[in-house]
Amino acid sequence: MATTTPNYGWPVPTSTDYVKDGAVAIEALGDAIDATVFGLGTSGLTLVSATTVGSAVASVTISGAFSSTYDNYKVTYTGGTTSASNQNLYVQLGATTTGYYSIRSGIRYTAAAFDFVDSNNGSNWTPSGCIDTNPNLNFDILQPNMARITMFDSSWQSATGIAFAAGYQNSTTQFTAFTFTPDTGTFTGGTVRVYGYKKS
Amino acid sequence: MATTTAKPNIQIDDLVREMTTEEHTAYKAQQTANAAQKAEAEAKVAARESALAKLAALGLTADEIAAL
Repeated sequence: MATTTPNYGWPVPTSTDYVKDGAVAIEALGDAIDATVFGLGTSGLTLVSATTVGSAVASVTISGAFSSTYDNYKVTYTGGTTSASNQNLYVQLGATTTGYYSIRSGIRYTAAAFDFVDSNNGSNWTPSGCIDTNPNLNFDILQPNMARITMFDSSWQSATGIAFAAGYQNSTTQFTAFTFTPDTGTFTGGTVRVYGYKKS
Repeated sequence: MATTTAKPNIQIDDLVREMTTEEHTAYKAQQTANAAQKAEAEAKVAARESALAKLAALGLTADEIAAL
């Protein structure tokens, strides 16, 4: 007599069932699995690209990061090193070098608060930094490939404190690429990952 | 004897190559702008911290300073 699996309750035969009923049992099991898998939700984030950073590069460009497939994205860069300590990391979109606005607000480990206007109609955003020579880029970017203003927000870690940054790029350019650089010197190693947020 | 100045490498997706002369010029200008922006922002923070320290030296409590 058929029984069911303990988690999803899929029908499975028992050892005393007739072999001649095996095909029907397999069909029932297959249908049950199909129904379960079809109903499972898919991840809200999809990996768009993963790029390994080379040795001693002064900037990294991800050229096919954004498209109409997603409205909003998450970008991370981890696992790499910088050639100089405690660098700011700057981001530019496409070939656009004006119209960037970003502000950083945080607190130092000494408990002193700080607020930076990183860019007021400047040439880039400053979404993150480094802890010593460990860069940490972690930002969300909203509607970069739509004919609308592009916005970002990020968490910011450094050797002296933490902060949150946010801002926008004041144009309706539909960006497909971004480039990030340190203050000075180069990056080596690590991976840049771009994820798309599922639309629905 | 002619000398050449090595330009930094850049990475575009999986391609690593040396900057062109134009890219190098833009890169240096951007670095200068970044340094100026960073120095200006940090000077403002230092000035604020200095002001807060002076207020504390005048006898204001941390709560009073925070209320300003």
